[in-house]
Amino acid sequence: MPKKQNINSSRRNFLAGSATVAGAAAAASVMPISIANANHTAADAKGLPSWTSWKKRSALIIHSDKGMETHRDAIGESVITPLRHVYIRNNMPTMSDAQIGNRNNWKLKVEGVKNPKTYTLAQLKQLAQRTEATVLQCSGNGRGFFAHKPRGSQWETGAAANLIWTGCPVSAIVKDCGGVVSGAKFMTSAGADMPKELDPKKALVERSVPIKAHKDALVAWEVNGVAIPNSHGGPLRMITPGYFGINNVKHIGKLAFTAKESSVKYMKSSYRISPIGKKGSQYPSCWEMPVKSWITSPLKSAKSGNVVVSGVAMGGTRKASSIKVSVDGGKSWKSAKFTGPDMGKFAWRRFVFETKLKPGTYKIVSKASAGGKSQPKLRMENRRGYLHNGWLDHGVDVTVS
Amino acid sequence: TSSQSWGDVMKQGMEIFNEKAGCGACHVLKHAGSEGNIGPNLDTSKDSKDVAYVKDMVQNGLGVMPAFGEDGILTPEEVDIVSKYVANVAGK
Repeated sequence: MPKKQNINSSRRNFLAGSATVAGAAAAASVMPISIANANHTAADAKGLPSWTSWKKRSALIIHSDKGMETHRDAIGESVITPLRHVYIRNNMPTMSDAQIGNRNNWKLKVEGVKNPKTYTLAQLKQLAQRTEATVLQCSGNGRGFFAHKPRGSQWETGAAANLIWTGCPVSAIVKDCGGVVSGAKFMTSAGADMPKELDPKKALVERSVPIKAHKDALVAWEVNGVAIPNSHGGPLRMITPGYFGINNVKHIGKLAFTAKESSVKYMKSSYRISPIGKKGSQYPSCWEMPVKSWITSPLKSAKSGNVVVSGVAMGGTRKASSIKVSVDGGKSWKSAKFTGPDMGKFAWRRFVFETKLKPGTYKIVSKASAGGKSQPKLRMENRRGYLHNGWLDHGVDVTVS
Repeated sequence: TSSQSWGDVMKQGMEIFNEKAGCGACHVLKHAGSEGNIGPNLDTSKDSKDVAYVKDMVQNGLGVMPAFGEDGILTPEEVDIVSKYVANVAGK
């Protein structure tokens, strides 16, 4: 860890004086400034933070330096999302090159298997490989449409991307370790990005998913043809196809097969889908993504005559089977067609709908189906604004002239 | 806080921010001289000038951020003061 000498004395007093009620209770937020400062920049404060300065600023809505959303019209028309346009949501500071060191020596500890092992990234590359296209989507994508203004980034459609990952299948790791221990019900992944001074119960990003998810999961080192950038969780990231972003743990350092869900805050109380005004670990966790679609063009205006409506449709853990478009706010629907390569059930499909529109105003909406289920019209109201896949809110009001 | 002047609120808000709540350990806020990098930079975050939003966050927490109000780390009055302070000085 880099050392920093010029610690503000009042802050030093606070850190030293944490025997107060406040200090003890707020321990999760207390950390030495030397670590708090790692990767931070004040330069270009309104723009991109230095730790991900390679992003394309004009493709992104900056909610904060920890949360950046892809503009609705910036996911491109090529099925795969350009990496420079991909959203970022960070629960911990992105690790620096200095903290990561030699990427090939990055270590993954595997527990809850018959023969526990620690692999280096170089060893994983030689164990087995698989390439998979998946939708990476924040649990709160669409939160900005909720009327009760839930806390958190007000994402609309852009906390989602379609990406190609290469990594080692978790199933190959399990096999190499002699299988999982009996009684294991969850696959639990922990990031190595938590500064050591924090309390793991409150700050460790450790996520459990049902053990069945391990069959599709990868520990990935490459995305869209490049080594996974630090800001996207490199050098090694858990990829849980079909599951919400938080389960795709960045900077993974430990993989375990466990009888119980992790007891850290990020598992027990965060990312729970509870009614407005209620909370608790008895409510479902943000795991499998539901069927969803949204229009990416046109968004506001179009010229009368031929109009091509296009967008993306995803099925979550099931293959997107059909997509319909309505130009009258859902009164009448017509089938749209998928275009571009089918990259498997975990990827999204691009769709196009060619129509003729006269001058006027139109509410254009899309509705995808997967595994016999279609998107609902309305959002499922919930406290934190998760899992929004209602088609009405995702529609666009277009003026044709 | 009706008996306090705005200047008092700002002064007390900075004290709560830097001392009792220790917000600066996790957040950048130039006005308070803090450079923490766990949570969002409050000078550039879209929502940090919205006092209702800030108060909601301070009261209830989010992710690693403690629920300063709900868990009794700060008094209701302190939640109010520090939220007003942040919303007023963010980006300045």
